[in-house]
Amino acid sequence: MPASLKKTIPHIVLMVYVVIILFPFVFVVFSSLKENNVEIAQAPFAFPKALYFQNYVDAWVQASIDVYFWNSAYLGVSSAVLGVLLAAGTSFALTRMKFKFASKLIYQVILLGMLIPGNVLFIAQYILMMDLHILGKHWALFWPYTAGALPFSVLLIAAFMKAIPVELEEAAIIDGLSAPGLFARIVLPLTIPALVTVFIINFLGNWNEYLLASFFISKDALRTLPTGMVGFRDAYQTNYALICTGIVFSVTPVLILYAFLQEQIIEGITAGSVKG
Amino acid sequence: MKRNATVMLTLILAMSTLLAACGGKNNNNGTASSSASSSASAPASEAASPSEETVEPFTVSLRHIQIGDPQKFRKAILDEVVKRTEAEVPGVTFELDGIEDAVNRFTKLPAEMAAGNPPKIFDLFGGNADALKYAKAGRLLDLTPIIEELGIKDKFLNVFGQFTLDGKIYGLPIGGSVEGVFYNTELFQANGLNAPTTWDDLVKAADTLKAKGITPFAMGSQAAWVPNMLVGTLVGRYANGFPNGIVTGDVKWNSPEVVSAYTLYQDWVKNGYFTKGELGKSYDDMLNDFAAGKAGMMFDGSWRSSAFKEGAVAAGMAGKVGFVALPALPNAAGDQTSLNANFSNGYGFSSDLDENELKAVTSFIKNLYNDEMQLRGLLEDGVLPSMKLSDESLAQVTDPVVKQVLDVMKAAGSTFVHFDAIAQKPVYSETELQLQKLIAEKASAQEVGDAIQKVQEVENSK
Amino acid sequence: MKNALRNPAAYLMFIIPTIALYGLFFLYPMFSSVFYAFTNWNGLEETKFMGWANFETAFGDRNFRSAIINNMYFIVFSVGLQVPVIVLFALLISNVKRFKGFYKTTVFIPSILSTSVIGILWGFIYDPDIGPISAGLKFFGIEPIYWLADSKWAMIAILLTNAWQWVGFYIVLILAAILAIPKDIDEAAAIDGANATQRAWYLTIPLIKPIISVVVMLSIAGAMRVVDIVLVMTNGGPAGSTEVMASYMVNKAIKYGDYGYGMALSIIIFAFALVFTAIYQLTLGKTERIEY
Repeated sequence: MPASLKKTIPHIVLMVYVVIILFPFVFVVFSSLKENNVEIAQAPFAFPKALYFQNYVDAWVQASIDVYFWNSAYLGVSSAVLGVLLAAGTSFALTRMKFKFASKLIYQVILLGMLIPGNVLFIAQYILMMDLHILGKHWALFWPYTAGALPFSVLLIAAFMKAIPVELEEAAIIDGLSAPGLFARIVLPLTIPALVTVFIINFLGNWNEYLLASFFISKDALRTLPTGMVGFRDAYQTNYALICTGIVFSVTPVLILYAFLQEQIIEGITAGSVKG
Repeated sequence: MKRNATVMLTLILAMSTLLAACGGKNNNNGTASSSASSSASAPASEAASPSEETVEPFTVSLRHIQIGDPQKFRKAILDEVVKRTEAEVPGVTFELDGIEDAVNRFTKLPAEMAAGNPPKIFDLFGGNADALKYAKAGRLLDLTPIIEELGIKDKFLNVFGQFTLDGKIYGLPIGGSVEGVFYNTELFQANGLNAPTTWDDLVKAADTLKAKGITPFAMGSQAAWVPNMLVGTLVGRYANGFPNGIVTGDVKWNSPEVVSAYTLYQDWVKNGYFTKGELGKSYDDMLNDFAAGKAGMMFDGSWRSSAFKEGAVAAGMAGKVGFVALPALPNAAGDQTSLNANFSNGYGFSSDLDENELKAVTSFIKNLYNDEMQLRGLLEDGVLPSMKLSDESLAQVTDPVVKQVLDVMKAAGSTFVHFDAIAQKPVYSETELQLQKLIAEKASAQEVGDAIQKVQEVENSK
Repeated sequence: MKNALRNPAAYLMFIIPTIALYGLFFLYPMFSSVFYAFTNWNGLEETKFMGWANFETAFGDRNFRSAIINNMYFIVFSVGLQVPVIVLFALLISNVKRFKGFYKTTVFIPSILSTSVIGILWGFIYDPDIGPISAGLKFFGIEPIYWLADSKWAMIAILLTNAWQWVGFYIVLILAAILAIPKDIDEAAAIDGANATQRAWYLTIPLIKPIISVVVMLSIAGAMRVVDIVLVMTNGGPAGSTEVMASYMVNKAIKYGDYGYGMALSIIIFAFALVFTAIYQLTLGKTERIEY
């Protein structure tokens, strides 16, 4: 008896936590299928009386969530890809090429970037975007996203590349490969696990970014999901059912993606933080 | 007919005080002239290019605040104007960008103005903290030549006070509004209450409703401009020369008069006169609470009248809404018959338009600022016209709330503008923060007055 | 023979794009911040040099001071309360045999959602009229709490939401470290008669100390730069009670148009972050090698 109790207690505790995690989602899904605020207020925990799908039609038409979603997706992916490639190239040069002094210096300067809390540069970056005449365009997010991820990416990828045995590249160079060739054909393929990790971390960061997105982008058609959803809430602030529908729309694709990729995402992020 | 003529007269009279209020403050530093030159050259070049010439497609960005259900009538008018303008000007497509009012006014537009890249057409408020500040920095298009060219300059009422700098007009108010008390006539009758036309009746109504478990005043103070409307009128009741005196130093925020207004407000908070948890309630929540009968009154602008018509968000309230001015306060020094009236919201235009954009803007102005749209605004949306309408047009008003609004205007002894048009930006922001502190009972009325006055003095000395 | 790796052209090709981007979007804004922080620049009027005036204003600014205190709440809450909970849950998950994958997958979910969507979602959960929390309280006869409207509760509400979002993320980090401990150590201890609690306390926790240290560092860094959740849920309100340093800086710059002052604030925030990191590195984190 005590043995089985001992086994159950952790499960009970964990299940309570799982309920706390999942409860808001269930509540939001239920509410999104209710007809109006009154029905939500009267029975917040109850299953909807009749499934009211009109909210989904309304939210889709009124909020252009699909536009926000694609903006976020392509900005997130493209800037994460570019960031990873640049960081990989730089890491290769810093760790494998024979410019010891310069490499050390550059590495230290980049390391400094890790110490700057991203948002303190916000105003200065705003002015910069203005001077570059890209304020209000997607470039105004793309470049800071890409640049902002570089210090961390270089750090992580460099650590990984240091561990690649020298013999491999020696053999390759004897075969007549140039530095870029060595990078593209030997080092890059070997570094793929680290690259995937860095990509996922950068992508999630870009996908969720709010501060820059809310001030650097004005046009509705260019908004990303985080800011688009806030705008949607501001517009329909008293129609809770509709807002819940908006949340469902914005969360579902990420959850589906997560369901497929959860192994890689979790592995990637833990690898990034634990090993390094 | 006669009545409408009187209404007209009041409108004009009322608004001429606006101009007097703002005229004195417009000092000049020459930067605005750069914006004038671009528009001055436009009519000439327009004449030079034949109209059948094929035009490259171009877009004109348009920032508006008509989002969500309560604003749908306004949005419909805007959509119609955009449609007509697109049909009229070859190649143009409007890019509509709707965001929430306060976000636009206090966050987005200021940032864009500082950056020098505002949308081509945007929703704009008048006054020192908005239109005049941007005009001084050369960001706004001088509209004087355009409205002269279109021949509509004289059709406007005397409404440009908050948009005029050095005799040039930088914004076109879409309409006017007054601020007062909306009350639920059904609730008042059911509880044997008189309309809140005297201070005693108002307080009695509040106490009675409170005792019945009904919130006396719906309030949404999450954005502090909402309670600041009531504060503005209360201070006006107590302090002579408000709000214009705050920038000249004649009225001090920490003077006994202004502090008594804040004290009264805090007393009302303590008495439970406002919605519970008002600091978490939005402006729309406030309307909803009033419309649902959870609250008996609300202090709001006359533009809200459109919510109570057929097909609107609070249509259930149709025929059950009364509108009165805030009643005279006993033993207060200010003008007790004065009314807060504004022609403060409209459209402004970026000073960096090219030739095509200028054509589109001119056509947009022509299609928006005319008798037809002004009348639609009045009839469909309860917006007081900013342009002169004929008596026949005005006689078409059937909406009971709008009629009461017009009566309130007629009865007003004088008008004063909302202090957000007079106060400098940091001062106004400070009033918002301090008011929230007052509501949260984290500051006393005197502390609030002292804190605002401190910022006011810094700004006045600049 | 190794000429390929001494090719300066190739070296520059790999280095320059990164340095250029990094320099333009990081170093340049950082240095221009310093310049603007000594001016009254607002984008609209003539810019004047102000000396140290902005910094003097900042330290006399009561609202900024209360924002600093709110950041301290974030640090205390996330390090003092969240970290123990995180470690406990990670240990629990590592010890169960069934559903391990399910727990790991589920607790991580909030961390992949965007903070602003979480802010909207929880704003709804906290709603006093129709939110489920107040409905639950009503069931027990308790008056609804105005979570986000009451300056006494708003900060707590945001801290809880923030915890909801991030606890799972850190659990997974620590869990990975626990699972990486070789099985035989644990088994040997079990054979020696140590029970699960003892093993966790004397064996596992000392072994995962480096990663706990990383989590503490990340928590401090996160607490210093928190801003999104505040902007979305309360925008610093009610009455400034949830304002944090970064949200205050953003509001001062954008809403008041006082960019020069905002810059000064951002330099102060940077200094704070630096000092905190340094203090932690020199004291508690000293023995561990921090890598991330």
